[in-house]
This record gives sequence, structure tokens and C-alpha cells, in this order.
Amino acid sequence: MLLEWMMNGHAILYTGVTVAFWTTILIVGICYTIFDLGFRFDVAWFLTETSPFMWANLGIGLAISLSVVGAAWGIYITGSSIIGGGVKAPRIKTKNLVSIIFCEAVAIYGIIMAIVISNMAENFSGTTPETIGARNYQAGYSMFGAGLTVGFSNLFCGICVGIVGSGAALADAQNASLFVKILIVEIFGSAIGLFGVIVAILQVNNTDNLDLVNSCSKNIT
Amino acid sequence: MMRRASAAGLQHGDKLWAGPDGLDPGAGSGFAQQHMTVSWFRSREPHLRKSKMARAQSRTSVRLVAFIANLCAYFGVGRSTVQVPLLLWSTESFPSLASPAAGRIVPSSQLAAYLTSGFHSGSHTVLLFLQDKLSKDDFTVYGGVYGNKQDGAFLNLEAAMQSSTSSLVLPALEWSVASDAPALLQETLGVSPVLVDPDTLSDLQLNPTDSNLLYFNLPYCTGLHESCEQVLRNNDQIIGKVLSIMKAKNILYTAIYTGLQPSRVIPETSMSEQRLGRSLLQAAPPGVKDPLIFNVSNTPCIMLWAQNLNVRFATDWIDLATETPTLDGSLCNSTNSLLVLNYPRGIVLRECPLLLNTSHVLKRYCVVIDIIPSFAMSQKFFPVSARNWFSLDSVLLKSNNETVSFDGSRGIYAPAEYSFHCMSVNSFRDALLIRGQTSLNTSNWMLNFIDFQIQGFGLANGTNFSYASDCAGFFTAGIWMGLVITLLMLWILTYGLSMITMVNTMDRFDDPKGPSISVPQTE
Repeated sequence: MLLEWMMNGHAILYTGVTVAFWTTILIVGICYTIFDLGFRFDVAWFLTETSPFMWANLGIGLAISLSVVGAAWGIYITGSSIIGGGVKAPRIKTKNLVSIIFCEAVAIYGIIMAIVISNMAENFSGTTPETIGARNYQAGYSMFGAGLTVGFSNLFCGICVGIVGSGAALADAQNASLFVKILIVEIFGSAIGLFGVIVAILQVNNTDNLDLVNSCSKNIT
Repeated sequence: MMRRASAAGLQHGDKLWAGPDGLDPGAGSGFAQQHMTVSWFRSREPHLRKSKMARAQSRTSVRLVAFIANLCAYFGVGRSTVQVPLLLWSTESFPSLASPAAGRIVPSSQLAAYLTSGFHSGSHTVLLFLQDKLSKDDFTVYGGVYGNKQDGAFLNLEAAMQSSTSSLVLPALEWSVASDAPALLQETLGVSPVLVDPDTLSDLQLNPTDSNLLYFNLPYCTGLHESCEQVLRNNDQIIGKVLSIMKAKNILYTAIYTGLQPSRVIPETSMSEQRLGRSLLQAAPPGVKDPLIFNVSNTPCIMLWAQNLNVRFATDWIDLATETPTLDGSLCNSTNSLLVLNYPRGIVLRECPLLLNTSHVLKRYCVVIDIIPSFAMSQKFFPVSARNWFSLDSVLLKSNNETVSFDGSRGIYAPAEYSFHCMSVNSFRDALLIRGQTSLNTSNWMLNFIDFQIQGFGLANGTNFSYASDCAGFFTAGIWMGLVITLLMLWILTYGLSMITMVNTMDRFDDPKGPSISVPQTE
């Protein structure tokens, strides 16, 4: 069994790439340590020299894309079950569209958050960490965090709703009275996506740090 | 006497003397074919040998002398590039001389030996045509060597050499010898040279039984009145006239055509100065200046090196690295180092804008009395990284009793054991030195240090910098950003592709032998 799995081309490829990547990291790290160049590994330099725009836009991108992945995955699972079950029991197809709508809501949460976060990104002046200012760095990191929050929440919510919806469809095909009970499970699954949205709003809602503003205009010392 | 053509002269003249007839040994056609001339000499040798049996013995001995002389000459030093060609032709028979190797400059000893062997017995009439300046290049430029024989300026000369009994071409003769040719010939012949005007030659009475040394002065072109070609042509006419007069008088002569000085001197570096072997392109060029070292009790404590230390007060940049400063006022201990460079000067800047109260800019000339940059460094222990770090806290620029402070603690730092190096340390573009408070007079002051290296702590006894912690990292911030985003996206792409490839057709309930699924048409 293991041999069969090893013969899988995918496994070889992923194993190879992973091993190469980590070996490179390991060897570079060992060399830096041996030559007493460990001081050049500077996380603070990386965090202050990289532009806050990168973090903000990563957050926006991940918000929408991870949400859409979750929704798509959920719809894929539910949809295939509905279609499969609908072959033998065509009455299920109208009722089980509710599951699809729950999955779609997750994508809508994602796009709303992406638009809300991107509206907070503005230009700033300053080229050095001192002139950019701490507020701008915090704004960038907040947006990144919010995007990750809503993205991953919606991702898993979408998968969850999808799997439950698939079960609901197949159960409904067998016994029409089961559908309403399973719908309650689906509602709980859908709530977790909403939690993610709320927390993300809280993360970017700190009005002092919301905007990437021109620090000169705010009299920041 | 046959003199071997010097090797040094032939390297340039070889190809340039090749005429249109190409390699045709023994043909002897054309004066303007060096190798042809050489091979023509060789072909003449057996002819001479056959026809002059009586002088075979003396010729053998002369040849032996010439050979030994040449052997000695090979060990001689002929490194000077100041060389003059010498052409010798004779209606008498001269001992033959093998041509020297290409590029050889014939030394004076060889010429003297040759002349002695040629003129040792009997009376000879020698015509010495001394041109003010002569070089091989005159022949190649004006000699009609590119197939245009008819345009050449040495037609009489060529004809004379061809029709002579024996001739010799030395493309490169040591210059000192050539300028002393009259003295040399006087010594060899035992007669003093007589300067003759070519017009009066026909009136001159020459006694064939005595040795005669007639010396003709030929001018060289000065470019004022006539072209060089015309001057050389005139000289050639003179030579032709003289030779025809001598022929009319039925006197056997030996003619020498050479120059007092070379007309073109190609400068050449002496081989002994060149470094043998290859050198790295990346190796530091010779003459790299030493770093500035501040010693405390005879051990180096602070070191500074920069290719340029540019300082700007008004509009012009002044490079301080070209001068040597005094280091008065510097101090160096375990926690603080201060390097003070004193550059006294008294220069006048071109313009020095001065803002008056009415914000009207008045330009005037400023005198800079002194320029004193000072570098203040400090060293501290940082607990998180658990090592000592030093930073260049400030660069104070003092001049004319004004001071501006440039703060470098943000960007110029390194572990205390190492030195700091940066290709560009300036105060205006990607500034590592941030200018502090300035007054009206000092508002335009700027610093620009190029290829800057400094170390204030941790110097061992030697005068080398420690490992240089460079201001440029392995990757720039932009590269890191790109790498992070790119790797993230690649990972996402890989994951997505793997998901797609794992989508399979559902085959759990496939039963090839069972009945196929039936779909009811009605609910």
C-alpha cells in the first residue's frame, strides 16, 4: 500500500519539492551560523523595510480568494450530491438549493470584507521606517490580519456547509422529513463564517489606525 | 660588407615592404620587397662566390668575423626604440652579411665591425648621404610600396641599389651610431669627411688611389614650404645626380644613405618595467591609497578608508580624499571612538549664496578656511542578540566656525568586531546620514562618501580591516517582498492543481456485469 502510494507521481513531486526547499533553508542557515553571520538574519529589518502596502494588499487578496475557495468547495460537494440524488429523487432539487445559497453567502462575506478593507488603504509619504510611522505599519498589518481572518473562516465554513448540505441532500432523497433537521446543523455551520467577518471588522475598525495616511498631515511626532 | 638587417626594424617593415609580386624567391624584382631583397641577397651569394673565386678566402674569414660579431650582437642589448634605417650599396664588392632577424636593432659594435671588415684594405670612396631625419616609415609612406611604384619618391635610390654590386639594408640601426656615422667612417677609413655640395661635385677632383669620404647633407621636410614627398623626391634627385656624376668619373664608390635622427619615434615601455604573468582584472589597481589610521600607543585604533569623501558647501563638491589630513583631536577607547580629520585650506568657492533677511539671495565668493569632518562612534552591548554592536552616531562637519551634524546611527551599524562598509554613504539620496539642524549659512551642506569603510573598535595589531559588514544585504527588501508573494502564489497554485488532478470518476458502484442504471422518465 505504501509502495503504491510512493509510486504515485504526485507524491514524488511534492515530496521532492518540499525536501529541496527545506534542505536549502537548512544549509543556508547552517552556513550563516558557522560564519557568525547570524546577525544578518534580521526579522525586524524585513518587517520594517517591506512596504505596508504589500501586507494590506495580501490581506485583501486573501480575503476574497480564500472565501471564494471555501464557497466553491462547498458548492462542489453539495452540488454533486444534489445532482446525484436528484437522479433517483427529483423532488429534492428545489429544496436543497438552500444549501447552495448558504455556501454562496460565504463568498459574499468575503467580497464585502475585501471591499471594506481596500477602501481603507490610502497613500502615504515617507520612505524610511521613521518617516513612514508606526501607524501606517499597524494599518498594513491590521489589514493583513483581517484578510486572513475572514478568508480562513470562510474557507472552512464553506467546506463545512458543503459537506453538511451534501448529507442533507442524500438524506432528503431517502426520507423527506429529514431535511429540516439537517438544515439546523447547516445553520450552525454557516454562523462560523459570520464570526470571522465580525472579528475582521473589529480588527480594522480601530479608527486611529485605520487609514494609511500621510503622516505629515496628522502631526504625528 | 653585408650587414644583417636588424630584427627590430623588420617587424614593422616586413609586411609593409611586401610588394605586389608576392613571394618569389630569387626574383629580386623591386626594391620595395623586404623579404625579396633578403632572398635576393641570398641568391647573390652563390653568384658572388662563383665569380670572385680569388677573394673567396678573404671572404670566408670575413664571414667568420661577421658571424662571430653577430653572435656577440645577439647577446647584446638593443632595447632602445630610437632607430634609424641605413642603406648601403657599393659598386665594389663587399663581404656578404646574412640579414638580421626581424625586429633586431643593430648595435653599433656590429656596424663598426662590418665597416672595418669591409674597408680594411685598399682605398675606398665613400659617399655618405645624411638626411636630417629618416625612418622606415618614410619609405613605407612615400616609397610607392602599395603597388604604385611610379609614385614612389625613391626611384633613383632603388635603381642604384639594384644595379649595385652589393648592397645592404638595415631597417633599424641604433640611433647614436647613425648620428656618429661620419666619425665612424672617418675612423674606419682614416680620412676626415668632406661636406660636399651636390652641385659642385662634378668640379671636385677625386683621386681613386686615396680613400675619400664625401658627405652630403639632405634636408627633411618641415612642412612649411613643400610637402614631405616633394622634399624626399628632391633628395632622391640629388642622390641620383651624385651617383651619375660618380659613374661618369668612373670611380668605384660605396654609398650610405641614413639619417641623423629618426623622423618618427614610437614610444615603447621597457620590458623590465612590465609585470610578467597575468594579473586579475578584479585585483586592486596599483596605487590604492592606504587607509587613515589613528594610533593609540602605537597600535591602530580607528581606521577609515574611502574612495571619495565629497563635501559640498554651496554648489561645488570638494573631494577630501585626495589630501592627507591631520588627526588631532581624535580619541579612542573601549566604548567611544572619535576620528577628527583636519583639512586646512584656504580656497575660494565659486559662489556662495547668502540669504539675507529680505530673502534676497546675494551671491558672493566665500573663502573656506578649514574643513573638519569628525566621525563619532560608540559601542554597546545589546541583550537580545547578546553581542556588542557599534554605530556611527554622527558625522560632524565643521567649517568656518559653522557646524552641521549628520546622524548616522540609524543606518550605519555593525557588530563591534567587524568593520562597516558601504558603497554610497550620503545625506540626500537613500540617506544613511540624516542632516540635523542647519542655519542660514549651512542649509546647503551635503555629504557624499563613496566606497566608505570604517572601523572604530576591535582592531588587532595589524593594519587590515576586519570582516566588512556591508550595508547591502543579500536580497533587497523588494526582492524579499517579491519572493514572499511569489512563493505563496506558487504554493496555492500547486495545491489547486493537485486538487484538480485528484478528481476522479466515481466508480464505487460500477458493476460491469450488472444491469445498467435506469432513469425513470416520470417522478
